Amino acid sequence: MEAFTSLAGGLAVAIQPANLLFALIGVLLGTAVGVLPGIGPALTVALLLPITFKLDPAGSIIMFAGIYYGGMYGGSTTAILINTPGESASMATALEGNLMAKAGRGGPALATSAIGSFVAGTIATLGLTLLAPYLVEIAVSFGPEDYFALMVVAFVTVSATFGDSPVRGLTSLFIGLLLGLVGIDILSGQSRLSFGVPELYDNIEVTTLAVGLFAVGEALYVASRRHVHEEKLEAVRGSLWMTKEDWKRSWKPWLRGTMFGFPIGALPAGGAEIPTFLSYATERRLTKHPEDFGRGAIEGVAGPEAANNASAAGTLVPLLTLGLPTSATAAMLLAGFQQYGLNPGPLLFADQPNLVWGLIASLFIANGMLLVLNLPLVGLWVRLLMIPQPWLYAGILVFATMGTIAANPSPVELVMLTVFGILGFLMRRFDFPIAPVVVGLILGPIAESQLRRALSISLGDPMTLLQSPISATLLAIALLALVLPFFLKGLGRFKAVED
Amino acid sequence: MTSSPQRRIDVAGLVIAVILLVLAGVVWWDMSKLQILSPYDLGPKVMPIIVSGGLTLLAIGNAIGALRGDLPARESLDWKPIILILGGLACLIALIAFGGGFMIGTALLFAATSTAFGRRAFVTDFVIGAVIAVFVYLLFAKLLTLSLPAGPLERLF
Amino acid sequence: MTQFRRGLWRSALAAAAVAGFVTSAAAQMELKIMAPAAPGGGWDQTARSMQQALTQSGIAKSAQVTNVPGAGGSIGIAQLVNNSKGDGNQLMVMGYVMVGALLTNKSPVTLDQTTPIARLTAEYEAIVVPADSPIKTAKELADALKADPAKVTWAGGSAGGVDHIAAALFAKAAGADPTKINYIPFSGGGEALAAILGGKVTAGISGYGEFESQIKAGKLRLIGLTTPADKATADKPSIKAQGVDIEIANWRAVVAPPGISADQKKALTDAMDKMAKSSEWQEILKTKGWEDAYVSGDAFAKILADEQARTKEVLTSVGLVKS
Repeated sequence: MEAFTSLAGGLAVAIQPANLLFALIGVLLGTAVGVLPGIGPALTVALLLPITFKLDPAGSIIMFAGIYYGGMYGGSTTAILINTPGESASMATALEGNLMAKAGRGGPALATSAIGSFVAGTIATLGLTLLAPYLVEIAVSFGPEDYFALMVVAFVTVSATFGDSPVRGLTSLFIGLLLGLVGIDILSGQSRLSFGVPELYDNIEVTTLAVGLFAVGEALYVASRRHVHEEKLEAVRGSLWMTKEDWKRSWKPWLRGTMFGFPIGALPAGGAEIPTFLSYATERRLTKHPEDFGRGAIEGVAGPEAANNASAAGTLVPLLTLGLPTSATAAMLLAGFQQYGLNPGPLLFADQPNLVWGLIASLFIANGMLLVLNLPLVGLWVRLLMIPQPWLYAGILVFATMGTIAANPSPVELVMLTVFGILGFLMRRFDFPIAPVVVGLILGPIAESQLRRALSISLGDPMTLLQSPISATLLAIALLALVLPFFLKGLGRFKAVED
Repeated sequence: MTSSPQRRIDVAGLVIAVILLVLAGVVWWDMSKLQILSPYDLGPKVMPIIVSGGLTLLAIGNAIGALRGDLPARESLDWKPIILILGGLACLIALIAFGGGFMIGTALLFAATSTAFGRRAFVTDFVIGAVIAVFVYLLFAKLLTLSLPAGPLERLF
Repeated sequence: MTQFRRGLWRSALAAAAVAGFVTSAAAQMELKIMAPAAPGGGWDQTARSMQQALTQSGIAKSAQVTNVPGAGGSIGIAQLVNNSKGDGNQLMVMGYVMVGALLTNKSPVTLDQTTPIARLTAEYEAIVVPADSPIKTAKELADALKADPAKVTWAGGSAGGVDHIAAALFAKAAGADPTKINYIPFSGGGEALAAILGGKVTAGISGYGEFESQIKAGKLRLIGLTTPADKATADKPSIKAQGVDIEIANWRAVVAPPGISADQKKALTDAMDKMAKSSEWQEILKTKGWEDAYVSGDAFAKILADEQARTKEVLTSVGLVKS
């Protein structure tokens, strides 16, 4: 109850015209930069920090929160329309979303992503309001062994992205794991697979890989077979809006995605990528239309998008309650707080209730604003696909390279983008699934370093993985997820025989 | 890319298997130069060993698939557009590396790609690409104060 | 929008020009400041703060910030040494972390090739333990370390970084074997902090600012800071004063390219001297919570040389650098 009174007080702060304006500027800026691959919300906040220095604290922090949420929206728009995920968290969205767009269902894809983001963002922000103090206790009790177990669960479930052939799927995954080795090993400080090239020391940027594989690779592939296959894009086929059927297929994935995104986002080392992939894998398993996956299934867009936005609210839990920045953007928000001499942490809620509740309230407002802004734009966005094909792909390539240069103005980064583009082309040609490469790059290094941390702490005793209740539970879930499908299949066969 | 339908051995598939094997070797070789520094850490070698071993097994798996010839059918390949696009990317990279600035490079990439997709208006497309580049430059450099690779054209602004 | 912006620019320039005219007639410098890191990090913030102070106080006519991220600054310094030779308007922000990074990355370019200008700020390292830890003083931590270094787990930043070096120095000062410390690197400040708060490790080590609010809230116990004994205050005890002889700071500084003339070096040093005294810079230090550690000229060159020698020794002892 107390939370609601405080929230009402916060709303009073947030709906002051000036603050509303800041929230609006924030969501607009956030959407604009979220669209560009490589330039995420973190970078924008970093660059705007000096400019906002002269504004009052409440206003500028509200604006930053708007940028954060706006960035999440912008990233998914490009993922769906042109297969260029603006940030790593919208990668899972690109998988089915772009297929939907190509099938002329870009409208419903964008709509389910916008509404799903709104629903998830609202529920998660509500969760932030009510549960933050309790959730953070659990979040902090997550040790390295528990993170490792979570990665095991993620590895088991993402095998859903492998496609039909396990050999091909595993090949893709191992290429991703190999790429994950490149750079300085955080635990020992030694460089691996860098061949003395300093640009490789900082590990391979996930967005560079994803944009290379998805956008550049596809441009090459489509161009190479234009002479046999004139690709005809129809911007709109059927309804521009979500049909009753679309709603029916979307609402459960939205809720499930939120359930993945919010708690994992609240974990100090949880991140936004893992919940989106978990959500994708879950929807793929639970769907009543398995035949649609690989051809543009709306569940595969609704779930990950909800997970993506819910995790954004989740990262604010440790930030506001403990002052723990758990994502790059959260770290920049923290710098934003510090610029005004405010230290987020256990005391922030008590010291600066107006500011904190004003921020939370403006998150609700930013979310609503984004929905109102984005839904009418769906029609406009979809028409982007009607740009003549040569210009569309030329634009995509310019876009992809520009984002990469802006984030890191080095020719080596562009060479990597090109090499990943060629890799993506070859993988398409020889029918290797692409998503597992990215999954390997993201999950591999986390799994490795968390396991090594856990074993360092336990002085090499592997039993530490089973002694922690969280880790033991997660490992049991992983085992179940691995064995259950075989068991069910066996059962199904058994039944079939009985019939 | 020559697959002989009689024996159904897929040469491209075998090449893939060999590449995987080479990658496994590179990972192993790189791993052998690492040291274990902390007495408590599992060490930086374990993961490369897993990756190298996995790649070796997958090389065998892919080779078996290729010998059985069960790779999916492929269409004929048109190399020209690929070379055009990669050429555009190479120009962009070279221009940035040697201080030609990104605007010309971006315009070239735009024009090359649209030619690859069948348009025959290189000059027009070059101008369109240049306009996009100028717009983006102003947005990034002036509004966000990001430093983009500059050449003679960028210094005019 | 553009017109509005242009107007703003013009008036800002005019204001800067007027201010420049008033404070110094020699405000013709058009400086370029390179941050050898991506936007947002500490070096970038330092570069952008310098830009703000230099132009607003009229010390320089303009100051342009460029970012050259990568490999702990190795890429930035290579560019400074190879491409900016003799450029008297170029500066690069760097810090203690770069000293270690260049050594562990086996960089072909070294700091000896640059022209040291001035040290600007410093942050001391803090050692903390979870609030319910039995360890209360630096002495007790040192004893635990001496008894069994394996059982004392440290959470801090990346391997070979300032946190790691400080932990090794602490072990050495405590009389334990620095090669046997159980130091666990974490990727982000938040992750390490979570591990300490969750009681997963014995102690945490990082810049004081990372821990400040947790210490004030009573969630972490501060063992001490790596300050000189005479700099200690009641709420910021010095580790050295507690009998464990360790002193280390994570400083940030600026250097210039090689091959600049003595006049150019003097002009840059003068500009930094003026900036460090300016009210604009002092204001920035206050709001950012950075400690002023200004030293310029030969004194800074000596600090830089000493720090390189000491860091090399520590990194060699933990095996990250081969002698």
